[in-house]
Amino acid sequence: MKSLLFTLGLLLAINVKAHEMVPTYPEWSRGIYPGVLTTTMEIFNKRNDVEYYEIGVFDKDFEPIYFVADYKVFPLKHLSSISIDVYIAKENKDRVEYICSRSKIIKEDRSKTAVSSRICSRFRS
Amino acid sequence: MLRKAIIAAIGLGALYANAAEVPINGTVQSRCIITTDTTGVYANPNAYTLTTDPTSGGQLPIVRFDVTLADAYYAEITAPSEFSTSPTLPDVVTWTGDTEVSAMSDATGMGSYETNKVELGMTDKYDLTATGSTWFKTSSTAVLGGNRAYPGGNYTALVEASCIAQ
Repeated sequence: MKSLLFTLGLLLAINVKAHEMVPTYPEWSRGIYPGVLTTTMEIFNKRNDVEYYEIGVFDKDFEPIYFVADYKVFPLKHLSSISIDVYIAKENKDRVEYICSRSKIIKEDRSKTAVSSRICSRFRS
Repeated sequence: MLRKAIIAAIGLGALYANAAEVPINGTVQSRCIITTDTTGVYANPNAYTLTTDPTSGGQLPIVRFDVTLADAYYAEITAPSEFSTSPTLPDVVTWTGDTEVSAMSDATGMGSYETNKVELGMTDKYDLTATGSTWFKTSSTAVLGGNRAYPGGNYTALVEASCIAQ
């Protein structure tokens, strides 16, 4: 009975298709170079239909703001997480409102509507 | 006497050392989680229409938002307005789409989500004022211009579900 429940729980866990990102309200800290600010975001992939994510930095109108990260589109295996260091120029600090991560959908041989999930954390002034 | 004092001192020192080394562990968990509950499927009820309407044989995509912090997030769900994958099309496509609350974990706190939503074109914006889970379903229909037949092939369109911190 226990093994049946465990198997059922495992199947349910495997079937979960979720996208998560923390922190909700990140803060900038001084970077390693003068005039550069950095913050770290952590992204979790519980979507078994997604293998790649994209990160972006935006102003209050969701206009993109230039930033630097190791990768803007990066692979993220199912049930794994990644920490991404994001760097911006100090003069853009007050313009930045959101950091968003978005799932990237891989082309499939089916006529369907896929769900692109996007989570946006916000900088509070 | 001296021996007892030394043992007591060592014992207290050990206690102090233990107290100083007690670890405090914590995990920061997401306050908003987007889960794809059901993937949508387009049906082809006639030559020039693709639709997720279940009465035509399609399947509505359903997305779940789990929120553990009230009044902290907006849910923005955008129905497709283009194909991300398709064969070359002979004419323009007219898109219609809408999002509705499908189910909720807290009927009292979330009951007004549908009436209070803001619609901006194909995007529906919900203020997530209560903690818990909300399921949203999105309909999508794509009609090819001039009632021309869709070429054979695979068609994919994206519903974008966003959880935006307030």
